[in-house]
Amino acid sequence: MRCGYGLAALPGSDARFFSPETSFLRLPRTVHPTRIKFGSFKVRAKIDEARKEVSFYELLGISETGTLLEIKQAYKQLARRYHPDVSPPDRVEENTERFIRVQEAYETLSDPRRRALYDKDLALGLHLAFSARRRYQSDEDLEDRGEWRSRWQSQLSELKRRSMNRDAGGNMSWGARMRKQREESSKEL
Amino acid sequence: MALFARSFPANTNWGASASASEPQKSTPFASHLLGGSALGFHSLLKLNQVKKRPGGVYASLSEGAEYHSQSPATPLLDTINYPIHMKNLSVKELKQLADELRSDVIFNVSKTGGHLGSSLGVVELTVALHYVFNAPRDKILWDVGHQSYPHKILTGRRDKMHTMRQTNGLAGFTKRSESEYDCFGTGHSSTTISAGLGMAVGRDLKGERNHVVAVIGDGAMTAGQAYEAMNNAGYLDSDMIVILNDNKQVSLPTATLDGPIPPVGALSSALSRLQSNRPLRELREVAKGVTKQIGGPMHELAAKVDEYARGMISGSGSTLFEELGLYYIGPVDGHNIDDLVSILKEVKTTKTTGPVLIHVVTEKGRGYPYAERADDKYHGVVKFDPATGKQFKGSSVTKTYTTYFAEALIAEAEADKNIVAIHAAMGGGTGLNLFLRRFPQRCFDVGIAEQHAVTFAAGLACEGLKPFCAIYSSFMQRAYDQVVHDVDLQKLPVRFAMDRAGLVGADGPTHCGAFDVTFMACLPNMVVMAPSDEAELFHMVATAAAIDDRPSCFRYPRGNGIGVQLPLGNKGVPLEIGKGRVLIGGERVALLGYGAAVQSCLAAALLLESQGLKPTVVDARFCKPLDHSLIRELAKSHEVLITVEEGSIGGFGSHVAQFLALDGLLDGKVKWRPLVLPDQYIDHGSPADQLAQAGLTPSHIAATVFNVLGQKREALEIMSSGN
Repeated sequence: MRCGYGLAALPGSDARFFSPETSFLRLPRTVHPTRIKFGSFKVRAKIDEARKEVSFYELLGISETGTLLEIKQAYKQLARRYHPDVSPPDRVEENTERFIRVQEAYETLSDPRRRALYDKDLALGLHLAFSARRRYQSDEDLEDRGEWRSRWQSQLSELKRRSMNRDAGGNMSWGARMRKQREESSKEL
Repeated sequence: MALFARSFPANTNWGASASASEPQKSTPFASHLLGGSALGFHSLLKLNQVKKRPGGVYASLSEGAEYHSQSPATPLLDTINYPIHMKNLSVKELKQLADELRSDVIFNVSKTGGHLGSSLGVVELTVALHYVFNAPRDKILWDVGHQSYPHKILTGRRDKMHTMRQTNGLAGFTKRSESEYDCFGTGHSSTTISAGLGMAVGRDLKGERNHVVAVIGDGAMTAGQAYEAMNNAGYLDSDMIVILNDNKQVSLPTATLDGPIPPVGALSSALSRLQSNRPLRELREVAKGVTKQIGGPMHELAAKVDEYARGMISGSGSTLFEELGLYYIGPVDGHNIDDLVSILKEVKTTKTTGPVLIHVVTEKGRGYPYAERADDKYHGVVKFDPATGKQFKGSSVTKTYTTYFAEALIAEAEADKNIVAIHAAMGGGTGLNLFLRRFPQRCFDVGIAEQHAVTFAAGLACEGLKPFCAIYSSFMQRAYDQVVHDVDLQKLPVRFAMDRAGLVGADGPTHCGAFDVTFMACLPNMVVMAPSDEAELFHMVATAAAIDDRPSCFRYPRGNGIGVQLPLGNKGVPLEIGKGRVLIGGERVALLGYGAAVQSCLAAALLLESQGLKPTVVDARFCKPLDHSLIRELAKSHEVLITVEEGSIGGFGSHVAQFLALDGLLDGKVKWRPLVLPDQYIDHGSPADQLAQAGLTPSHIAATVFNVLGQKREALEIMSSGN
């Protein structure tokens, strides 16, 4: 099983039990099939509830004024403990779930910007874990970047199209004349 | 065993093995994996991102900012000595290479100091460029050059990276004599498009087919020369690629004292608008929808619509470049090697492109969390500890001349509300960030535009304000015509504060302020002065503020003050113009120093005293107007007159000589000798080494005295005693 982000994709097929908001951030609309087999509904429900109670700080076991180093250490400790590869087979699901939460907590708290937003929400009494994860990411940024690719791809195809008949016709630029000269001299060879 | 350990293929599945050891103690675990040589390799691996792969070696940057002080493991980078070794790598391996390159840059700069943030921002770009293009036949130019560290590592200079910016070591900027992969020497900004165009045209004239790529930052793009070059490139239509490295950092050191600097100038907002272009996106979505519905032969129509849409709505920034004649592509994520490689490949294989501009968006300091979070993005650092990001800044009793200048100017500006300060994107380097904090409305950052800064100051002076232009001595060269024509010719009272005068150490000849005395003192209306210590600097700032009928300038070196008492309240007292001061009264030998060289003269006097001579030491203070009576007296009452300055020929010494000749003093018995910077460029190195190479150390001065007096043995003694 792949670790890290591969793990982070929640089951889309389990739409019955998880609302679309709970699917992870990187995949705004589409959902991916998961490799994690979640056990019974009961386990999931329990986890779901539990999730709502505990703040990221409590989850990691540090104080709200924890430094980056503390966060990192706590995360490492917990990650090693709950990683699916190292957990006993009967506790895989719940450990996996914990691992995901720990992972999410770490990601939010280790980025100063996201941590600031999270702290603000926490102060207002809202602990929105998975469901509000998107708020802490630069959603717009990612969308923009996706658009960038299609934009420069079209620019590239336009460039190719223009280059076809660039040096044709009268009134040529210096560069066009030189290119023509070079083509002709290489043809002569 | 370091070499062995690096090439050891480690199949590591951290997920499984993590349970085998306790989390915190990483070294013992690593050691039984690597056979005893604990390199801290382990700490660099991402805990949660290791893929199982048969027989692959993995090393990637730790997300948790864990950097070991020892050399990072770079298995893939170890196999790359020149760009040609990269050609068989897959894109995935290129990503790994970029990560390793990044950690190597961090490690190297942590040991030597240098420019970090900019180099980190272009790691992926460098890898992509060298992968797609074939340097050195293809020319890759790096504007300013301070981001060329990854480039140097990939082009055969990795083993010399520990000598970066040191005597006889690698230069901190690209340098033609250093390597054939450095095709143009840089240091001052905004020159690469011009040079690249020259290389492209040269290639065309010779009938060659190589590529020319000029990488320029958005900061360097604020300079006029970049537009001059683009304008010409568009007209000539020669094939070349300009890569605009946009990281929204326009001024140096990228931050004020209180936070990051928002980019200066209108161009930056135009570039930002290019990056987020909603209307186009929406229109295209609509167009796509329409095409889907209609389908079939409507494809062509749709393509046309697309083209028109692009033209109309394609953002107000790209039209700027398009109008200049460059084909605009972008924005592109500068940290995505896939994207970069595919774009560069496409452009490379397209024939007859004409000039193309690829707008790449990067993040300065990317990949090193301390740099990313710092306000100044770790633009220029001294040695630091990679694990904590803490710089080992030396402590000094005195502050830098730069800081003293800023304090002096603030004190003057408190008293006189007409005083304003202008600099060209060098808020930190000139100390004017301090002035900005105190007087936010009276400090002007014009971007990298020295010429504009000078004429802008001239305009301010016309309105009765008192502008202080703080521009490095070496950058003043750019604005020379403006100084002559717009300021001096019209006798406008603009004050020039030239920092980094004389030799500057690690930055080398590109930043050396050797010529400012020469080119300023020859101007008819200019008052030219130089402080010999920080107290004098305070007084000269006051003097300059007081000179209101003509332009004036003063120069001061890089470095810290010597520790004299500062005037009360940082407020200097205007000096009498054209009067020097005698520091030590003596006989037979007179040492006439100008600026910081006076300190060397004082030290030389000590050396001479040990041999029984008691020289007179004089601080000339003013090069223009010269203190004629003082010089006349020195020439008449001494046997030997030595003038010392840290400037080229044609400066202070020449003015003294001119006066002596015209006054008939050279017809007498005085022996005059000038000590100036030699007729060569002094390479980068430590200040002491540079001074020794230039022949301006106290020992040199003392030896010169002995030589003139005919005491050759004593001269030799002094020089060989290794002072």
